Amino acid sequence: MVKKIGIRVIVVALMLVGFNYIYKATLWQKDLATHAHLLPDIFVYQDSVEMLYFGESSNFSYNPVTDSITDRISDLIYAHYPTVKAATINSSALHAGTYLPLIKRLPDNTTVKTIIVTLNMRTFNAATIHSRLETAMMKSRMMYLNRPELLNRFLMSLNYYDNKTEQERDDDMWEDWTYDTLTWLPDTFPYRTIKDWCAAPKFVKPDGSYDTEKRSLADHYVKAYAFQIDENNPRVRDFDEIVRVCRQKGIKPVFNLLAENVEYADSLIGDELVYIMRKNRDFLVNRYTKMGAIVVDNLEVVEGWDYTDQNWTTEHYGQIGRLTIAHNVAVALKAVYGDYYQESAIEMVVK
Amino acid sequence: MLFNSVPFLLFFPVVIFLYFLIPFKYRWLWLLAASYFFYGSWKVEYLSLIVISTAVDYTVAMQLVKKKSKTTRRLLLITSLATNLGILFFFKYFNFFVADTAFVQDLYLHHSNVRAMVDLFTYALPVGISFYTFQTMSYTIDVYQGKAEPEKHFGKFALFVSFFPQLVAGPIERYTHLQPQLLGNHKFTYENLANGLRLVLFGFFVKMCIADNLSTYVDMVYANPAEYGRWSIVTAWVFFSFQIYADFHGYTSIAQGVALIMGIKLMDNFRTPYLAATISEFWHRWHISLSTWFRDYVFIPLGGSRVNFLRWCINIMVVFIVSGAWHGANYTYMIWGGIHGVLYIIERLGARVIKLPKEGFSFWRILGIAKTFVIVNIAWVYFRADGLRNAQDIFKAFSQDLTDKSLSVDPVVIGLLIFFILLDGILFNKRFDTWVGDKPLTVRWGIYALLLFAITAMAGSVNHPFIYFQF
Repeated sequence: MVKKIGIRVIVVALMLVGFNYIYKATLWQKDLATHAHLLPDIFVYQDSVEMLYFGESSNFSYNPVTDSITDRISDLIYAHYPTVKAATINSSALHAGTYLPLIKRLPDNTTVKTIIVTLNMRTFNAATIHSRLETAMMKSRMMYLNRPELLNRFLMSLNYYDNKTEQERDDDMWEDWTYDTLTWLPDTFPYRTIKDWCAAPKFVKPDGSYDTEKRSLADHYVKAYAFQIDENNPRVRDFDEIVRVCRQKGIKPVFNLLAENVEYADSLIGDELVYIMRKNRDFLVNRYTKMGAIVVDNLEVVEGWDYTDQNWTTEHYGQIGRLTIAHNVAVALKAVYGDYYQESAIEMVVK
Repeated sequence: MLFNSVPFLLFFPVVIFLYFLIPFKYRWLWLLAASYFFYGSWKVEYLSLIVISTAVDYTVAMQLVKKKSKTTRRLLLITSLATNLGILFFFKYFNFFVADTAFVQDLYLHHSNVRAMVDLFTYALPVGISFYTFQTMSYTIDVYQGKAEPEKHFGKFALFVSFFPQLVAGPIERYTHLQPQLLGNHKFTYENLANGLRLVLFGFFVKMCIADNLSTYVDMVYANPAEYGRWSIVTAWVFFSFQIYADFHGYTSIAQGVALIMGIKLMDNFRTPYLAATISEFWHRWHISLSTWFRDYVFIPLGGSRVNFLRWCINIMVVFIVSGAWHGANYTYMIWGGIHGVLYIIERLGARVIKLPKEGFSFWRILGIAKTFVIVNIAWVYFRADGLRNAQDIFKAFSQDLTDKSLSVDPVVIGLLIFFILLDGILFNKRFDTWVGDKPLTVRWGIYALLLFAITAMAGSVNHPFIYFQF
C-alpha cells in the first residue's frame, strides 16, 4: 500500500510541475494583468535598462490647472542623464512592501545598476500600515514572489497572505493611534498619543465653536505625521531588506525622501509636529546613509502652496516641486553617474 | 480555519496521520482535541458555547433515562431545547428582535455596557452555531423518545457534538448514525483514502473554481442592481443558484472526504438538486440533513401528513418559514422559506391531477425540472439579497431593464460552470468518489488532472468564506 500511495504522490507532483508550465504558457499573463500588472515591466527592464525608478502617485501627479510641465519626476531626473538607459515602475498607493518583491525579482545578472525608490514618510504611519488597501496589495504581492507561478496563483486563491478585513485593519489603526506613545516630545506637552492630540481643542472660534474645516485638516496632519519611526516599523524592515537585496545584486539604492507639507503642518499644528517630522527624517537619512544607500533629503523643499492637494496630506506636487525634487535626486546621482550628468533642458526653460 | 486555507491543508493530514498512529482507545481524545482546536481557531471564546451546549445536553440525556416521571422528563427536554435555542436566539436573532427597537437603540447610544452587549451579539455570531445546536437537540430528542441510548462518557459525547469535519456547516448528523462510527476501530484502507481524497478534490474544485468565481459577478450585481440590464440580472440569478450549490456542496464533499479517510461516513447532503422536477423533490435533494431534521423534529411532531388539509398546510408553512428563519434573522429568509412552502402546497394539490414521472427525462419531467429551477432561482433572490429593499431593487432592475450595461464574464468562468453543470448532471444521484472510482485508470487520472489544474490555476482569486458558515 505504501508503494501504491508513493507512486501516486510522485505522479501528482510531476503533474503539478507540468501544470506550472501549462499555466505559465496559458493563463499566467492574464492573471498578471489582473492582479500584478507591474511584474511584466520588471521582465522587460531587467536586462534593458541601467537605472530604474520605483514610485507611486507622487511621481506622476501634477496640477492640471496651473502646470505646463506635466513630466513625471522620474523623467525629469532622467533628463539629466539622457545617455543612461532608464525606466520607471509606478502605480498609485505603492510602498516599500510592494517594491521589495519586485526588486527581488531582478536577476543577479540584471543590467540594472541603480534603483531610485521613493521614501514616503507617510507610508510609515499607522493609517498606511493598516490601510484598507493593504489586503489588495498583499494579494498582488503574492504574484510578485519569486516562486513557481502556479504555487503563487494557488496560494493567492487560498488567501495565503495578510488578508485582514477592513474592520480588523481599522481596529489595528485605532489601537496604534490610542496606545503608541510619543516619547520624543517634552514631558510638558500634554498629548502623548494621536488619539489625545486629535481630541485636543483646535481652531476654537470666539463663540466657542470650532472651525471644523481647519480642525479636520489639522487632525489629519496629526494622524499622518505624529508617529515615531523605529527599527520595528514594518516599512523600516522593508527598506532594510531593499538595501540588503541591492547589496547582494550589486545595485546602488537611492532613496528619494519625498517632500511633505511641513509648512502647513507648522501652521495647523505647530512646532511639536514639525519636530517629530524632522526627527523621523533624521532617523531615515542616518540609517540608510550608514547602510550604504544614497538618501536624498527632499522633505522640506516644496513650498506649501505648490502641493496640488491643499486639503489633504499627499505627496502630489506642482511643476516647481517636481522639478526641485528631480533636480536634487539628479545631483545626488552624480555620485554614481557623475560623467553623464547634463543640465536638463526643461529646467533651463523654467529658469 | 476554513477548509480552503493553507492551515487546514496542513491540519487535516496531521490529524488523520496521528489518528491512525494513536492507540485505538485514545483516538476519540485525539479527535476531540483536534475538533476543539479547529473550532477555537476562529475564536477561542466560541468554545465556551459549545461546551455549555455539550454539558447541558449530556446531563439532560443522562437524567432522561433515570427519571421516569413524564413531567420531569418533559422539563428536562425543555431545558435542553431552551438552552440550545436560547444560545441560538441571543447570537442570531437578538439584533433582529431586540436591538433594532427604539428602546434599545436609545440605551445603545447612552450606555457603554448596552453598546458592548449589542455589538457582541451583532458581530460575534459563533460559526456553526445553527448546526451543532440542532445536532445536539436531535440527540436529546432521540433519547427522550427512546430512539437512542445516551452516551455515558462526557468526552465521547463532546466528540459527537464537535467532530470537526461537520461541525461548522453540517451535515447535521444523527447520534445513532455518527457516534458508533466515531468510536469505531477503523483501519486505514487504501479504498477509504482514495475515495476520501476524491471527495476532497471534488469539493475544492466545486468551492474554489465554481462558487468563488461566480461570487464575484453575483456580488457586483447585487451591490448595484440598477446599473445592470435585465439579462445581467438573470445571469446573476443563475450564477447565484450555482454559487450557493457549489459552495455548500463543495464544503460537504470536503467534510465527507476528510471523515471518510478516517473510516467515518457522513451522510450525503445533496443529490443533484437542480434536476428536481418538483419543490418536494428539490427538498429531497437539497441540504438533506436539514430538511430531514425539520421533517423528523418539527413536521412530524406537528402531526405531519396525518391531519386535515388545512392543518397540513399550516404544518408545511411553519416548517418552511422556520427553516428559512434558521438561515438568518432577516425577513428575506422567511420569505424565501415561505415561497417554497406555498409552492410545495400548490404542487401537492396539482399532483392530484398531474403526476410527474419520478425518473428519466421525458418531456413533462424536463418541463418540471425547468419550472422548478426557475422558481428556485426566483426564491434565491430573497436568500441572497441583503434585505427586502435589495430584493426589490433586483426585481425592479429586472422588470424595468433601464440600462444595457451587461456583465462581462470571463470565458474561463463560463467554461468551468458548463463543465460543472455537465458533471453534476452526469453524476445524477451518484457521489463523485463512487462514480469516478468506476472509471478506467486513464479516464480517472484525466479527470483528476483536470480538477487539479482548475483548482491550482483557475480558482476564484477572491476567497469567499463558505456561505453556510454565516448560519
